[in-house]
Amino acid sequence: MTANELNTPGYEIPDDLKDVVAITTLDKVYNFGRRSSIWPMMFGLACCAIEMIAAQASRYDLARFGMEVMRPSPRQADMMLVAGTVTKKMVPAIVRLYNQMPEPKYVVAMGACASGGGPFKEGYNVVAGIDKFLPVDVYIPGCPPTPQALVYGLIKLQEKIDKQSIKTVRWYQKGADSVETPIPFLGPDLIDPRRIPEIKAKAAELANPPAEAAN
Amino acid sequence: MYGQGLLKGLSVTLKRYINTYVDDFKWWGKRYFNAEGIAHRSSKDANGIFTVQYPEEKLPTPEEFRYVPFLVYDEGANGEKNIRCTSCGICAKACPPQCIWIVRSSDPVTGRPVPQPAEFYIDADICMNCGFCAEYCPFDAIKMDHDYELASYGRNVFDKERLMKPASYYAQIRPLNNAREETARAEKAAAKAAKAAVTN
Repeated sequence: MTANELNTPGYEIPDDLKDVVAITTLDKVYNFGRRSSIWPMMFGLACCAIEMIAAQASRYDLARFGMEVMRPSPRQADMMLVAGTVTKKMVPAIVRLYNQMPEPKYVVAMGACASGGGPFKEGYNVVAGIDKFLPVDVYIPGCPPTPQALVYGLIKLQEKIDKQSIKTVRWYQKGADSVETPIPFLGPDLIDPRRIPEIKAKAAELANPPAEAAN
Repeated sequence: MYGQGLLKGLSVTLKRYINTYVDDFKWWGKRYFNAEGIAHRSSKDANGIFTVQYPEEKLPTPEEFRYVPFLVYDEGANGEKNIRCTSCGICAKACPPQCIWIVRSSDPVTGRPVPQPAEFYIDADICMNCGFCAEYCPFDAIKMDHDYELASYGRNVFDKERLMKPASYYAQIRPLNNAREETARAEKAAAKAAKAAVTN
């Protein structure tokens, strides 16, 4: 950080102490440490994970942002990069991993599927957006987002962290966590598999109308 | 002898490492943060490490690169925006994930439909960048964008204002496609004029 970024405006430092003393706030130091060492959790769900790997490799090099250490354990991770289609089968595991992460923790929904369900938004086995279960900080559109789009999203996350304050951030509040992570359950689908014979019968009826069958 | 492959691999890494500095000397201060440097590092003549220093420099996007679509408008003489879209709804029908939502407009006096969309939404968090909308549009009104810096803190549902971009922007990002479409449109207009002349 440069001296200007570090110094809180409003405090006058005498000229003879300019190069010796820096006055800053705890928030700035805290946020600087936080935003410069975001460790993502190492897991990918679908094709977006390939772009995530590409962004992590030497060509785009997330180490420039202090994000090079991908942790396979949620205990050591700061950010959950939900990269790919979230199936209903996978959602309990993802929410559980999120609950196991220590605070401060951030969630980035990468790609169309994680943000809003994408092409599978009405699918019987896909969750239409991870934001139904986790508090998402940054949404990155794209199918899949290119590594540069992903890096842009992560820069956005850093900007968000810069604006946070220890006083207001949700994990230092008294009482229970303000964001309740719901226990996932498999909701009703568009098609109930138990009614498949009924649906097939109806489809057959529509394909061959009874009037034609009578003739 | 064992380990030859290992040494060979390590020598490749070492070569890359040294070549980075060789290239740095050759390009002395011009290797990064300019269009020429990144074009060289993207080419087959690149030596050494070729990291794209993303926020400061960006990879040149190929013409057919496609991201979330946008609506093309023609700039009128007085700066008005003549949107090409006629709200026919073909794009919304062709869209595989069905992320396009169009509200048609009608004349407030007569109540008859006006070929202009009253509202036009694209849910960018559903869009899968397939380009079918641009492919199917008969009026060249919806095109695929090159702008990938779209990440935000909320759901990305783009409205008409957000989606509208001038035809000059389209000509700038896709010059070849634009030239091809311009000639096709001119030919069509000429054929129409010739036909009108014959019937009259």
